[in-house]
Amino acid sequence: MSGRWQRLYRGETTINFYGRRNVGFIASGLLLFVTIVSLFAQGLNLGIDFKGGVAFEMSVNGKITVEEARSILEENKVEASGAKIQTLSSGADERIRIQLEVLEPKVEESVREDLATKVGIKAGDVSIEKVSATWGRGITRDAVQALLTFLVLVSLFIAWRFEARMAAGALAAVVHDVLISVGVYSITGLEVTPATVVAFLTILGFSLYDTIVVFDKVDENQKRFANTRVPYADIVNVSMNQTLMRSLNTTVAAVLPVLSLLVLGSGVFGAVALQEFALALLVGMATGAYSSIFIASPVLGLLKERSREYSALRGQVSIGADMAHVMATGTPQSRRARQVDNAASTDASIPTPVPAVEAILSHPPRPRKKSRR
Amino acid sequence: MPKRNLLVSLISILVVAFGLFLGNIIVGNTPSLGLDLQGGASVTMTPIGEYEEAALSVAVDIIRQRVDSIGVAEPEIIRQGDTVVVNLPGVKDQQQALDLIGRTGAVEMRPVLRTAENPENTTTTTGAKGATTTTVKGATSSTVAQSSTTLAPPSGGGGESRGRAVPQTTVPVATTVPGTDPETGLAPGQTVYAGQKDGLIYLLGPAGATGEVFTNEATAQIDAGGWAVSVNLRDGAAGEDQWNALAKQCFEGGEGCPSKQIAISLDGEVISAPVVQAPSFNGSVQITGSFTEKEANDLARILQFGAVPVKFDTPTVQTVSASLGEDSLKAALVSGLIGVLLVLLFLIFYYRLIALVVVAGLGVSGLLMWSVISWLSKTNGLALTLSGAAGIIVSIGVTVDSYVVFFEKLKDDVQAGRTMRNSAARGFDSAWRAIVVADTASLIGAGVLWWLTVGSVRGFAFFLGLSTLIDMFVSYFFTRPSVLLLARTKLFNNGKVLGVRGTSTAAEVA
Repeated sequence: MSGRWQRLYRGETTINFYGRRNVGFIASGLLLFVTIVSLFAQGLNLGIDFKGGVAFEMSVNGKITVEEARSILEENKVEASGAKIQTLSSGADERIRIQLEVLEPKVEESVREDLATKVGIKAGDVSIEKVSATWGRGITRDAVQALLTFLVLVSLFIAWRFEARMAAGALAAVVHDVLISVGVYSITGLEVTPATVVAFLTILGFSLYDTIVVFDKVDENQKRFANTRVPYADIVNVSMNQTLMRSLNTTVAAVLPVLSLLVLGSGVFGAVALQEFALALLVGMATGAYSSIFIASPVLGLLKERSREYSALRGQVSIGADMAHVMATGTPQSRRARQVDNAASTDASIPTPVPAVEAILSHPPRPRKKSRR
Repeated sequence: MPKRNLLVSLISILVVAFGLFLGNIIVGNTPSLGLDLQGGASVTMTPIGEYEEAALSVAVDIIRQRVDSIGVAEPEIIRQGDTVVVNLPGVKDQQQALDLIGRTGAVEMRPVLRTAENPENTTTTTGAKGATTTTVKGATSSTVAQSSTTLAPPSGGGGESRGRAVPQTTVPVATTVPGTDPETGLAPGQTVYAGQKDGLIYLLGPAGATGEVFTNEATAQIDAGGWAVSVNLRDGAAGEDQWNALAKQCFEGGEGCPSKQIAISLDGEVISAPVVQAPSFNGSVQITGSFTEKEANDLARILQFGAVPVKFDTPTVQTVSASLGEDSLKAALVSGLIGVLLVLLFLIFYYRLIALVVVAGLGVSGLLMWSVISWLSKTNGLALTLSGAAGIIVSIGVTVDSYVVFFEKLKDDVQAGRTMRNSAARGFDSAWRAIVVADTASLIGAGVLWWLTVGSVRGFAFFLGLSTLIDMFVSYFFTRPSVLLLARTKLFNNGKVLGVRGTSTAAEVA
């Protein structure tokens, strides 16, 4: 381990996240644009739990194909073109699932019997899942209501605990994540099931959690730098560099079980129910980690820079060794020193030599006075 | 923080976690599995039209009794607002399940043609739902009708002042059919119903009235030393007239009602079969007999809501095959465990020795989680569903994050030259603040989802909330004391256990 990796490992990075905010904004903007176009063009592939319908599911027993199932539907005068028929293999058992609009009870019964006869099982062994259209609409409405209530309450909580601008930043990140996750479902045409909704909500919670931990650091630094003339951009940068390792580690720790669920659970064990769920989670967690760095904090920075407190210092930012200086001492370099330094090292991603120990530790750390807490 | 307090906290949580775990094992509580992990049928029901809040809980009780009667292991009947979810694990034929719970709670009044002891069930238990047993007992032992069920207008409007004084009326009941098979010689319109619990079989005539004749005001009260149920009749043709026609028929004891008894049945099961004491009733009916308080209340409740049975729509029906459920469970378990293992390996690689605290901490969290789920499974019928399991797997990330936040702060401080012991206390304070804020947001989310949604999302919310609470609990009572105590040991007072060169850097500067 050397160079960049070592600095990352030891939390000594000085990446100018805030200065590169537009990279994140443009990338997210593109993704959001694609999402919205896709939502208008092909919408979402809603499962029967949301729009109502009937689903038959049974063992294939090697006796029925998708075409044969389709012809059984036609014999019963069911509009087979709208039917979704798929085979699912879970372990040794291969199953077929036929998903239809809501049927008359009589038709439903005869379809069920015909299917059972074809495969050679009892009608009772064909499982039916039925959802009425009104129930589906109700479920969707409930979920949207719950989501909105959740966002409002959490925003209020963040505004109360930290400040309103942080609530705005967190909200932007969460909405961003949900939209992009929905976009992935729209583009890929994966079916949206209640499990998907659960996954979306997880993503939302996770993204919010991640953002709050970063904001907690920002809040801490804001207080630490309260008496110095440090531009807000520096506070954001310093906080993000300080929490970078935490964000990465937590994301790894959160993604590993999900990845195991995806690869082992659905790949090796063949539990289909888990597959799409894990996939949605994986996408969402990646987005969540990304958005707390590239959306939440930059939005907060943009808002705070325009506030009365920080507007005088707007546009100034310490990068490279300057950032390390701010991070360690809590005061910015003098303007002249900064100009010289900026000319020397303009890009923090170029591995700059680690600043001399004396520069960072110009004030040796001392134990905090007891009276301050 | 004195060392003793830390030790007390650490030992307490270990005792609590292991104690709860062993306690649950000894009592035999294990987490019960939801339908999607076990296989079975699930039916969601929503009431149609107007209904009363109390009527709904009666309807739920009735459904519960029916489900119990077919012997489904661990049925789950959950009310979520207006919605009733009935989960029947292990039931494969959902049609049977639907038929069973789809019936509306219909109360009917039928004349009793004959009564007989059920030959298969002669040992009579205490009459669970009324005093029908005692009707016969009263007849054979010919005691005063203290023990017979009778029907009378409450203020003696038309008949005998109180039905108790006429024990003779019950005598023919027992004597007409002594032990004969009631199933022979059925006339059209006659039905046999068995009051199994009372060991009696009733041969009933066509329904003379339904529960609709009563208003939904029925009360159980103590009357002349025993429990009695009185219920009001509706006015006019739909109520009083219909009831009186039936009462008159039975009071006269003619061919249509030789026993002079009217059977009150709920969904075909005879609840009570009182003897009619008057040919006509004016506004209200009183049923007396040797009821216990509970029996009287049950009867009153049935009469009360028999008039307004809640009709249900079944908007969703779902069956999961047992094999599919088992596969999912196995997959979720194995991949979950492997996932946790990977996370731990990663943390040990990154944080070195101190990551052992995470291993122990996750163990404590796991024990607590298992105990709470087992306990709630037993007491509240909670079931672990696939989405719940997913919530738990996801919460691993959140739980581990509490440690990561803490250890990162520790590293920062140690790197800046502070001693491990000093950093541990400072690090926890600031990490704890972040954990509380972030976990509170998670709890708000879990709470909102739990209140506002039904089904799988609700299950997910519950387990997310639970694991968040356990996370906070373990962070404070386990992680804090163990790291703080370890930081005082010689071995740990060195940045190397964290994977940093902290103390050595400080030494160079000095």
